Amino acid sequence: MKSYIDYIEDTLQGIPDDGTLYRYKRQVLDRMNELAAEVTHAGLRDQKVMTDLVISEFPDLKGGFEKFCLADRKEKHKQLVNKIMLFGTPALAVLLLVLYLGVSFLTDAWSKTWLVFADGFLCWAVFLLGVGVARITAKRRLFHPIARVLLALAVMCADTAVFLLVLMFTGFSPAWVIFPAGVIGILLADAVYAHVTRQKLRIINYLIYILVAAPMLYVVLSGLGLVPWNVGWILIPLAVAIDIILLIAKLLNNSKYTYKPEVEQAWNEN
Amino acid sequence: MERKLNAELWDKMHYLFRDFNDRMVHVELHYDFEIDIDALKTVLICFFEKAPVLHSSFKDNHVSPYWLVKPYTIEDVLTVAYPEDLEQAVDDFLTQYIPPDSDLQMKVAVFFKDGTSTLCVVENHMCMDGGDFKYFMKALCENYNNYVEKGISPIELREGTRSYESVYHDFSKTEQRMARNLYKNVCAKDEHKFPLTPDSIRDRSFIAKRKLSAETFNKIHAAGKKYGATVNDMLLAAYFYSLYELANYDPSDSVTISCAIDLRRHIKDVSDEGLTNHTAYMQCNIPERGRDIFETLQYAVQSSQKFKHDKFMGLYGLPLLKLGYSILPHAASEEIIKIGYSNPLLAMSNIGILESDKLALDGHEPTDGFMTGAVKYKPYVLLSVTSLRKELTLSLCERGNDQDRAIVERFFDLMEKNIGVLSGE
Repeated sequence: MKSYIDYIEDTLQGIPDDGTLYRYKRQVLDRMNELAAEVTHAGLRDQKVMTDLVISEFPDLKGGFEKFCLADRKEKHKQLVNKIMLFGTPALAVLLLVLYLGVSFLTDAWSKTWLVFADGFLCWAVFLLGVGVARITAKRRLFHPIARVLLALAVMCADTAVFLLVLMFTGFSPAWVIFPAGVIGILLADAVYAHVTRQKLRIINYLIYILVAAPMLYVVLSGLGLVPWNVGWILIPLAVAIDIILLIAKLLNNSKYTYKPEVEQAWNEN
Repeated sequence: MERKLNAELWDKMHYLFRDFNDRMVHVELHYDFEIDIDALKTVLICFFEKAPVLHSSFKDNHVSPYWLVKPYTIEDVLTVAYPEDLEQAVDDFLTQYIPPDSDLQMKVAVFFKDGTSTLCVVENHMCMDGGDFKYFMKALCENYNNYVEKGISPIELREGTRSYESVYHDFSKTEQRMARNLYKNVCAKDEHKFPLTPDSIRDRSFIAKRKLSAETFNKIHAAGKKYGATVNDMLLAAYFYSLYELANYDPSDSVTISCAIDLRRHIKDVSDEGLTNHTAYMQCNIPERGRDIFETLQYAVQSSQKFKHDKFMGLYGLPLLKLGYSILPHAASEEIIKIGYSNPLLAMSNIGILESDKLALDGHEPTDGFMTGAVKYKPYVLLSVTSLRKELTLSLCERGNDQDRAIVERFFDLMEKNIGVLSGE
């Protein structure tokens, strides 16, 4: 064990110790001892070979320390978020209750102040869903569809919060357009997610989303009176045209990377 | 703490091949001295630590399979025996099957007889292919020698990624993109079979082999030069021609033999690669038998040339497999891939030269030996070829009966005859 300690101390010499270094050294030593016990159990009797073997399994302690520090920071951040999630919900409930009662008594607008609760919890749901999206995205690609569903839910919650706010405070009658706008938001968020996480075959997502988003955009713009109903439908064939252009552009781009072996052509000619 | 290893693409593919073969790779080496068992144990333990997949159990998780590293003792790995009947002992050892969910994926045996040693190793193809297995054996011998002679700890075994993606790393960005776009279903569609008997519950694994002398090897080499063919082409032509004779195919029939190719040809430096599989198949096809074996050779050369000049040789189909395994949970992907995949009925794997100087133990070069692929289940066959000291060994592992063994022996007779004709004997 002494040789392992010497190796660790020698390799990590000169690194300032703020407590993290000690924890790293301890972790490495524990893993070295564990490995030594494993190979002893396997039947290795030569002590020199065992020492060399165990040390060779930890060739880059400095690099390992950097990774350890990074993982440590991430873990601390994760724990902080966990605490916020754990204690945040009851704390938020109390805070919203105080706010609700305070604002209601001060303004006497009881018919509208319930929004404090509704929007407060919707925003909290967006935060929780956002944390879920980030954590699941960090996992394997296999789990990404779950993150995409959570992302859609987060956009929908935000959309509902905006709808309630607009409806209650402005009485704006075409506020219903916020819901089809929310659908566009979901599609947009998912497209961005697919692009950022470099999902396979995401072009198919884009093509479908453009087709779905176009009628929604038509409804939103016409509902708001920005575009007349009898003109706005042009957005739908326009979306089809954009899809076709996108598809052709993609195919042309891909064709640059299509491999045509000259030898095969020569073979066919022969 | 549980230690898991990622199940790579080829691990999963070889697991899928469980319906076609037993996935074991075999090697047998004879030495004219007694191997130091304690030293061998030390080397093996070190190698098992360097390649933990060798002491891992494959977990067929329906969503995503993985390897679970397991504890072991060297006695579970290494068998030492003094058999009366050496041939039988070697045969029994080599034809064993290691289940993928067992704690060990490699078994080693040393049989002593009359002052000689026979070193036998069997490993799961899911862990590594013939190319890396050859490297493993050479590293084993080198580390054994350094340990015995100089006291150097036997820890020099390649470590690193086992991912199939390494084959792309040395390409330019554009080439990488091209290679990753090769969505092609590479399938052997030929229905011609090796004429074995129907399946039977009484069938058992056997390894049939035939040795060709160094003199024959030299003649093949010389004749190959004359006809502009490699040794591989010559063997392939003999394989084709012998099949036509053995199975009485119509001479006008087109026949396809899948030939194993080592994808490491695309990797400039393998020193930071872990032990893994990098083998694909190319479909060598001849349009007809030809008037004589020389015409068959011409067709075989043309067919293999077509692949040899291809920059992305062997990389077709990899993106499709990757897509198949990544978009769905493992259980579903397997079913989908099974629909699109057809296992070649006739295959050949030229494992190549077993360098006797690099396989020497304690200054003793192996006096004899060979390496061979998995035991195939009927009607699939794989002809493996290795050479040691310029002596060629043709081997064919099959699960069959005595009649099948006789058919395989007859096939070897035809191979020998046709190789003789080709090399002008």
